[in-house]
Amino acid sequence: MGELAIEAVGLRKVFHSTSRRPGFAGALRSLVAPQRVTTVAVDDVSFGVPPGELLALLGPNGAGKSTTIKMLSGVLVPSGGRARVAGHVPHLDRQANARRIGAVFGQRTQLWWDLPALESFAMLRDIFKVDEAAYRRRLDELAGLLELSGFWQQRPRQMSLGQRVRCDLAAALLHDPPIIFLDEPTIGMDAVVKEQVREFIRYQTAERGRTIILTTHDMAEVSRLASRVVLINEGRVVYDGGLAELQKEYGSGWKVRVTFARDAVPSGLPGLVGTVGAEHLFAGTDPVAQRHLLRALLDRDDVEDLQAHGDDLEDIMAAVYRKRAAADR
Amino acid sequence: MSELRQAARIARTSALYEVLQPGRLAGAGAQLALQIFLTWCLWRALYDAVAASSGLDQGQAVSYAVLATLYGRLRGPDRDVAGDTVRQHIWSGSIVYWYLRPITPRRYHWLRAVGDQAYGLAWAAVTYAVCRALGLVGAPASAEAGALFGLTLLLGQIVLYYLLALVDVACFWTLRNFGVLAIVRLASSLFAGAIVPLWFFPGWFQAISSWLPFESSLHVPLSLYVGRIAPADAGRYVLVQAIWIVLLAVALRLAWRRADQQIVVQGG
Repeated sequence: MGELAIEAVGLRKVFHSTSRRPGFAGALRSLVAPQRVTTVAVDDVSFGVPPGELLALLGPNGAGKSTTIKMLSGVLVPSGGRARVAGHVPHLDRQANARRIGAVFGQRTQLWWDLPALESFAMLRDIFKVDEAAYRRRLDELAGLLELSGFWQQRPRQMSLGQRVRCDLAAALLHDPPIIFLDEPTIGMDAVVKEQVREFIRYQTAERGRTIILTTHDMAEVSRLASRVVLINEGRVVYDGGLAELQKEYGSGWKVRVTFARDAVPSGLPGLVGTVGAEHLFAGTDPVAQRHLLRALLDRDDVEDLQAHGDDLEDIMAAVYRKRAAADR
Repeated sequence: MSELRQAARIARTSALYEVLQPGRLAGAGAQLALQIFLTWCLWRALYDAVAASSGLDQGQAVSYAVLATLYGRLRGPDRDVAGDTVRQHIWSGSIVYWYLRPITPRRYHWLRAVGDQAYGLAWAAVTYAVCRALGLVGAPASAEAGALFGLTLLLGQIVLYYLLALVDVACFWTLRNFGVLAIVRLASSLFAGAIVPLWFFPGWFQAISSWLPFESSLHVPLSLYVGRIAPADAGRYVLVQAIWIVLLAVALRLAWRRADQQIVVQGG
């Protein structure tokens, strides 16, 4: 394998804070003798991302995904371990690192809240010292992909969430970074805008060759965009591998739901596991058996309804966490 | 060239907030005009019964008070409305982007402050010219006093910048700075003589304020302007200002260094 675009080796982040005791007396006691609290947000996280790959970093809320991204993007200083982005330690030279990366944190905007988005773009052009011709070219391309021109004269405070995040995506790419960090970029969006943003992200890896780390809770997004996933739970990596392998290793198999016209199950069909009303459920783990069943069903003229299901990625994630927790005990 | 362009673009941000919104611009102008008029009326009325008080005659006191009102505009537009204070960025977590740009947060913060100050100065200069034309403010006591007014005003604004920047950076630890900011604002108005000239306060109060950094931002330059401090005595005040600038600059540098190392981003 060649040089990795992004590399995390034993990354660790510990936060220290003070905790206030409940009640008035507790608050007074906390003033005199504050309780120190230590939180390990990320513990020994290691993975690498080759150039041009889109990696989905997944996990439940509070798992350590965002903290990992903030260490890789150079915002947070790791408490331990090592991060390298494009061959450099990100937090040691944040300014040089900033030119190599772009980032969107879906719930926060980097646009100036009270200025038209176009003014924010011009501000970023000058901050990143992008020359005018390159800026015009990129802005035209981004405006075309994200359909920005209808609202880029507005201030972010007047925009919808979808409009604001699309402007944020453009802002993150104006300096043409080879590496992008996207932390829940589609959170709270409607289906149409979500699809547009997904297509935009896919384009950036497939056509532009950018390396992307994406965190999301949207499993349809993961299935659509990523071929490799890293699952994090309680600050630790619990799975790092291909999406297909994940489904194979932790999936529960296939399911087919069928409703027959005369409400009776024809004999000779394999894998029947149950019946609820007129609906009959077939299930199994062998994909060849599923194909045989589907072929047989499609040849029949008494099938009124047919639904084939693969594994739901959320169920698979839950299975991974359960199995790892059991293994740790 | 691109360095200059970058600096100019960042510096003009707060000014754009007002200039792009005519309503906000007109409101700021109307507020300043009303404040100056009321201040002028108040101090003229206060001096109706006496020719001089605490070493200031009516002309000096009115000029001092009107200039003190103008001084309030020197710090530029209120960024709170635009959601663009350091406290707001830290609280919302958008401070993260300050560390994802090829410019240090310290320099960005400084450029923004310089821009705000330049915009405020433009406002103050135009309003000063109007006040002079209308006879609301007298001329400097002498050419030398005018020059020293300019010098001490500049040094005083630098002192005030460092103080307010320290309050901003403190948000990296405290997350909110309402309390500290309220104290600094009150102290910077009271001990600077922005509410009432320090000459009207008792001696012990003047003695305390002479060693605090606030006095140098307003009281010293205005007292030089109206001739209450003689140019020959200005050296001591300039020295105190210089000492405060060095101390606060070192403190701010250390604070930024700590903040850059231990930044915590709110909300995951």
